[in-house]
Amino acid sequence: MKRHLHFLLALAVVLLMPAFMQSGSLASEVLIYALAAMGCNLLLGFTGLLSFGQGVFFGLGSYTIALTLTRWPLPMPLALLLAMLMGALGAAVVGWVAIRQKGTYFVMLTLAFAQMFYFIAYTATGITGGDNGLLDIPRPSIVVLGHTLWSLASPWQFYGFVAVAFLLAFWLLQKVSRSTFGRTLLAVRDNEERAGAIGYNLKLLKLQAFVISGAVTGLAGALHAMMTGIAPLSNAEYHTSEMILVMTVIGGAGNLFASVLGSAFYVLMADWLSTLWPRWLLLLGLVLMAVSLWMQRGLWGLGDSAWRALRSKLEKQHD
Amino acid sequence: MTSPILLEAIGVEKYYDKFAALGGVDLKVRANTVHSVIGPNGAGKTTLFHMLTGTKSVSGGRILFDGHDVTHEPDHRRVQRGMARSFQVTSLFLSLPVRENLRLAAQGVAPAKAFNCWHEPIGARACADTVERVLDKLGLSSLAITPAGNLSHGQQRRLEVGMALAAHPKAIFLDEPTSGMGVDDLDAMKRLILSLRDEHTVVLIEHNMDIVMDISDTVTVMQQGRILAEGLPHAIRSDDRVRAAYLGNMITGGKA
Amino acid sequence: MNIYLLQTVNGIGIGMLYFLLAVGLSIVFGLLRFVNFAHGAFYLLGAYLCYQMMQWGTSFWLTLTLAPLVVGAIGWLTEKLMLRHVYDKAHEFHIVITVGLALAVQELVIVQWGALGTSVPVPDVLQGVVIWGSFIYPKYRLFVIGFTAVLALLLWWVLEGTRLGSAVRAGSESTEMVSLLGINVFRIFSLVFALGAATAALAGVLAAPIRGAEPFMGVEALGVAFVVVVVGGMGSFGGALLGGLLIGVVQSVMSTLWPEGARLMIYIAMAAVLLLLPNGLLGRKE
Repeated sequence: MKRHLHFLLALAVVLLMPAFMQSGSLASEVLIYALAAMGCNLLLGFTGLLSFGQGVFFGLGSYTIALTLTRWPLPMPLALLLAMLMGALGAAVVGWVAIRQKGTYFVMLTLAFAQMFYFIAYTATGITGGDNGLLDIPRPSIVVLGHTLWSLASPWQFYGFVAVAFLLAFWLLQKVSRSTFGRTLLAVRDNEERAGAIGYNLKLLKLQAFVISGAVTGLAGALHAMMTGIAPLSNAEYHTSEMILVMTVIGGAGNLFASVLGSAFYVLMADWLSTLWPRWLLLLGLVLMAVSLWMQRGLWGLGDSAWRALRSKLEKQHD
Repeated sequence: MTSPILLEAIGVEKYYDKFAALGGVDLKVRANTVHSVIGPNGAGKTTLFHMLTGTKSVSGGRILFDGHDVTHEPDHRRVQRGMARSFQVTSLFLSLPVRENLRLAAQGVAPAKAFNCWHEPIGARACADTVERVLDKLGLSSLAITPAGNLSHGQQRRLEVGMALAAHPKAIFLDEPTSGMGVDDLDAMKRLILSLRDEHTVVLIEHNMDIVMDISDTVTVMQQGRILAEGLPHAIRSDDRVRAAYLGNMITGGKA
Repeated sequence: MNIYLLQTVNGIGIGMLYFLLAVGLSIVFGLLRFVNFAHGAFYLLGAYLCYQMMQWGTSFWLTLTLAPLVVGAIGWLTEKLMLRHVYDKAHEFHIVITVGLALAVQELVIVQWGALGTSVPVPDVLQGVVIWGSFIYPKYRLFVIGFTAVLALLLWWVLEGTRLGSAVRAGSESTEMVSLLGINVFRIFSLVFALGAATAALAGVLAAPIRGAEPFMGVEALGVAFVVVVVGGMGSFGGALLGGLLIGVVQSVMSTLWPEGARLMIYIAMAAVLLLLPNGLLGRKE
């Protein structure tokens, strides 16, 4: 039971959102950014790599799905896979270069890449639509042998599709995090020097982490574009990278479900608070500072500590 | 009857800008022996270790291991060839359990498996046999699930040796394994190192002369980046040059 | 007048501002090994304080003196009350806490002064142009170049000639050694951080009459500061100066040749330096 706890929690979130929320688009957004945060978490929480480049992979996913559904049409499932592939490729390039440095220099390199990609996206208006982005991205129904199996037209219908993709990705990422690879990444995060000394090729391991992260983030970008119908320039902006990192840290590094918490927190707060008070980002800034000072394990850590406290209280009452 | 030479350093040099940390070192280590390297601080012992294990690259000279020229191979390559080292300053995976530390070290000889993103490391994939045997040898079986950061200093030093052991090395390099250890732990460490000789070749840097004189087959003395003397423990102990290097008052102890 | 000459002089002006902006970030990194993502926020505060004080009728000269002191004090408090507690945590939290701070400051600025930004008038004394033969140039910009040059000399003197400066330079090598020498390391940390904040704010004050004050200028400034620090070398005073001038001139000249490419170029330069010369042009060898 404990083994499957995180997956069940993720499943619970997926099932509960339609029950409690009005907007299918908002629910989809939670899952989409959860995917992006999980991709970021693989790098930060598992490998110890703080990457500001997630916006690059997210943007690549968006642009790819836009182009493969409008200009060079492909069947939708294939288009999605291609978007993931482009995300993975982008991550391979960024990762391969950035890994050459460590610590702060690594972070700076990912920042530089994020900026470079932004400007390439801004100027290559033929492919990316520049400042306008790419528009009118359709949401093709799932069609098999001429029969429409699943229409994705309404927000909640699309949510169903996103939910399936999300749960599948969650399950796969869990497998990765528990695998020999995932465990080796934890060692790299704990003591990189020793990991290298006992025989592991650090560069290739980090690169593989980047590629998986890029694929997941690319998927998120593609789904986002399908949901909104546009692939805007802002998906490739520094702000997107920062936002994804913020969600990951607030949720809690090193734990996949924590990323779901982080995404839910950010997306729902943004939606709810921004109608109350346009300067809700101030609160977010304060939350970030609070997490850094007192809650390094993020929302998940908070929940975990509360649960432990509750349990020991109950045990005491038992005696 | 001497055993074959497993490891050889030929004219090894290491320069940091103009400073010669090693100025042409020749060393022969025979298989299944305990070969100690001693010398005053700054003699270049740890630098020599770094050259032999591939932690850092040489400025000149060659290193031969098991018949291969490994001079330009990085450390993770040499691990696969059968060289494993422990660290002078404990460098474990502090947040991970003892068993996981050893599993990682054991897995390190087949690092390709570390890219497997599908299978969990359990059973044979976790090199379970090796890990259990090493745990037993170290006397740490009861602490298998404790995070390495929670062990006592002496236990951590033993785990350090275990990390090298888990890699099934032909040659095991121990860099001051007893540093900072109290009297109780020292005996356990001495017995552990002695027990290694049958299956491995041990190259040892040590300051504790008690251990060096007791368990070494060969002692090499270094000074200022060069070899000063080499030979059997008792010969080294009575060597005038060595006494002068140590100012005559550090080579006491041992039963030889 | 020759456009390239004009752009070069502009570039030097901008470059000196970049130097002032980046030197604090660089020294803080050299000493505290801390990457301050809130550095742009101090620049932002400087610009807005300049705007506000001039609105109140304060003379530009008083603003130039007071605003950096105020922001310096804010920096000092920030380090002492908040950042100090994060030093021993994982390095991602250094970044996250300062990102949070930058965000909070930005939003507070918008709360106080609105989201649209304003222009800041050039002080009367410095209005108008200077004419030397065919060289016509705004007085204010010349003032900026001169003033920052004097400031650079002052900073250099503090770093090289005073006990504080020696402690800072020694501390960049090894904080352990410095504390063993009996110097209160933590007090130096606060002071250096305050100095970094003050110089960034000063850059903001000087930049405001040229660029106005706008809530998102902090983010933009941070990006540039990072590039300058990386190219010049983290922890190096000379590097901040050289890097600043280099980036400033390149940007200015490029803006006539290939405007969009100007920004792209500086980030390519940043990546290239990180890969080939990670310690920057004048940085220490690690």
